[in-house]
Amino acid sequence: MTAMSMDDAAPAEDGGILLEARSVTKQFEGLVANRDIDFNIPRHSIVSIIGPNGAGKTTFFNQVSGIYHPTSGEIILDGVDITNLAPHQVAELGVARTYQNIRLFQNMTVLANVMVGRHVRSRGAWFAAVFRLSGIRREEEAIEQRSFELLELVGLRRSVADDLAKNLPYGDQRRLEVARALASDPVLLLLDEPTAGMNPRETRKMTEFIGRLRRELQLTILLIEHDMKVVMGVSERITVLDYGEKIAEGTPEEIRANPRVIEAYLGKQATA
Amino acid sequence: MAMLRRAIAAGLVVAIVMLYLAGVGLIGAFADRQVVTGYLSLGRLMLLAPLMIGGYGMARQAGSIVRRLTLGAAAGGIGGAVFALGILAVLALSPGVRDVFIRFNDDLLSFALFGLEPGPGAVLNVGLGMVLGLVGASLPVVPPVVRRGLLVGVAGVVLMSGLEPFVRPRLTDFDLHDVVLFLYEDQGLLPLAAVVVFAVSALLGVLWRPARAEVQRRFAEADPGAQRVARWVAALLLISFIVTLPQLTGVFLTQVLVLVGLYILLGLGLNIVVGYAGLLDLGYVAFYAVGAYFTALLTSPTSSLAIGLSFWAALPLVVIGSAMIGLFIGAPVLRLRGDYLAIVTLGFGEIARVLFLSDALAPWFGGVQGILSIPDIIGEGSYTIPLLGEIKGPAATYYPLVAFCGVAAFVAWRLKYSRTGRAWNAMREDEDVAQATGVNIVNYKLLAFAMGAAIGCLGGAIFATHLESVFPGTFNVLVSITVLAVVILGGMGSIPGVVFGSLALIGLPELLREFAEFKLLVYGGVVMLMMILRPEGFVPDVTRRRELHEAEEEPEEDDDTADPENPEPTATAAPSQA
Repeated sequence: MTAMSMDDAAPAEDGGILLEARSVTKQFEGLVANRDIDFNIPRHSIVSIIGPNGAGKTTFFNQVSGIYHPTSGEIILDGVDITNLAPHQVAELGVARTYQNIRLFQNMTVLANVMVGRHVRSRGAWFAAVFRLSGIRREEEAIEQRSFELLELVGLRRSVADDLAKNLPYGDQRRLEVARALASDPVLLLLDEPTAGMNPRETRKMTEFIGRLRRELQLTILLIEHDMKVVMGVSERITVLDYGEKIAEGTPEEIRANPRVIEAYLGKQATA
Repeated sequence: MAMLRRAIAAGLVVAIVMLYLAGVGLIGAFADRQVVTGYLSLGRLMLLAPLMIGGYGMARQAGSIVRRLTLGAAAGGIGGAVFALGILAVLALSPGVRDVFIRFNDDLLSFALFGLEPGPGAVLNVGLGMVLGLVGASLPVVPPVVRRGLLVGVAGVVLMSGLEPFVRPRLTDFDLHDVVLFLYEDQGLLPLAAVVVFAVSALLGVLWRPARAEVQRRFAEADPGAQRVARWVAALLLISFIVTLPQLTGVFLTQVLVLVGLYILLGLGLNIVVGYAGLLDLGYVAFYAVGAYFTALLTSPTSSLAIGLSFWAALPLVVIGSAMIGLFIGAPVLRLRGDYLAIVTLGFGEIARVLFLSDALAPWFGGVQGILSIPDIIGEGSYTIPLLGEIKGPAATYYPLVAFCGVAAFVAWRLKYSRTGRAWNAMREDEDVAQATGVNIVNYKLLAFAMGAAIGCLGGAIFATHLESVFPGTFNVLVSITVLAVVILGGMGSIPGVVFGSLALIGLPELLREFAEFKLLVYGGVVMLMMILRPEGFVPDVTRRRELHEAEEEPEEDDDTADPENPEPTATAAPSQA
């Protein structure tokens, strides 16, 4: 694990900042889910957000992907202000995500799920489809071919392509969700607890896979994860949230040694 | 013991169903409609069928064959006994009280007791119940081939007798008097004819699957050139059948076909909104009404616009105008989901009707009087098609309608397997995720409404010119419900399903005129039963069928090859094309 993270650390140093969050605050009625969060993701890095349950990690994710809009503060993706964009606009700019509780298009086929992911990178309008205007057949074939490639990349057999997504085993559903996200050719991939519910072996494979994705697809990855092994193994930088606030930030080694982090995690357990 | 309790419960349900059918008058209405003249009427069949279904239900439970058959017979016997008891109870009532149950008149009571004295009649009911329960119970036990043969045979006999008013005159037209004499006496089949019809239908039912499999196998093995030829030949055969249908069926049946076609058109439109995009629209009648009224306004010389365009000149304006109305209705409901959307669209449907009816707008829409003297579709009353001769009457509407249905089905089919169709499906499955995956929810919802409106208005336009008048009363909520029932019966998202649904729900009731009174009752029952027993519909979409009957599906039977509407995806999926 450690060896891999050393290898992967190299490309993170150049390329500047891909995503920048400036004092992002999100308030639901009385509850402050995120308070004044400043947060940077360097290009081609793997960054993790950790924190106890209810710390505001997923809320932050939802703001980056446009599902929520911050109460105050701003979010900049590659120089573009995405603070108040709709989710489909954010997706078009290259942010793709997976969900903590897998959310596939259950009653569509495996292949169709990935093909929907390709939506933002294709243009075919309804009238073009009805009249088979020039190019539409080629575009459809390209979408399908790319989708098959992605299924292969995430390790799904071609023979399941026509099965319904909901009939896949759990681990394959997670993979399919990743394939769907990758289909939009994202620059930033948000993974919400990608190893949740997996056994140690599956978890190890997923961890390796995340590293491979960054190397092979030049991705930048933001990760929410509970499994400390995964977090420490794969990420260059870690941000720790607690009660909606950022309490620490740094390399895995720094975070491991940080007394506030230990308190947030262990202190809670001690009092419980 | 537990099993016996279930048999008693099943018997009670069966008896209640029988008494209910009798009580609402269905049995009485069909008591004289002969299936096999002198032996079996449709009313009798309706009384007997529940007994068999009860037995069938019992035999689907686990257990040894003997046990299942016994329980089936027990359920049937209990059903017959409780039914007979119910009938005897009514008989025992004093005449004044019995008048409350208006449908339980002397005719019906005597019919229920087979015209016998109460005692023997009741015993016969019990005995027949046991026999039919046993027969029903043997259905899951016998090989599937036998089961299919039996059911298709019975269906063939019922259909042949039901179609008598249409088959007889056509046979006479073609000078086949001997065939008529062989087949029919009064409305029903003669016993020998019934046996022949049963045997032929059963044979067809048994041979259908292997034959289809064989054709499919040969088709799959053929080279691409031959496949293309085969596809064209099949298409040509289908088209020539559809085109010659009015000649074969005569005026009245063509009139029925026009009605069926109208609902196919409406169903195709609603299928896009509900089946593809998952937007439960209960006010679809609004688009139908808008299409009809726009057409009336533009074509009728006596309408308030009084410009008297021809139908074909008005059509583009009608389609564009209706699509805009679709957007107009779609916009306010963009944020609503599921039940809320259904309620609001239901309201819109009613609003449309009330607006067309209102006195305030009467100067434009004519209020209760509606709009009259709409020219027919060609403007001349008849036209000539090469080879078919002069086309007039309902057939004059039939051909343009078929063309419209073809266009609508084509559009629906192309969209289904497109980027647009996938975006709609994704939206149906999970709106939030679809949006986060890059689907512009607003645009695609509006597109679905506009598309549904454009297809629905075609139906309205045809309807207006067919009747040559429009009245607000026609466009009530029942139309919306009926179209939805058509879509559900066939299978949501399935194009052949719409055709099937319309034939079954619109066509059949027209053939059985005694039925008219009970149409809504039966629609309600059918939709409920479908939702419980076969939610994917009778002619389901391939993926939908897989989703709902995963476990009981025969292994991989006809997954790709059986898709009747689209042989293409498998072709494009094959690497040879890439």
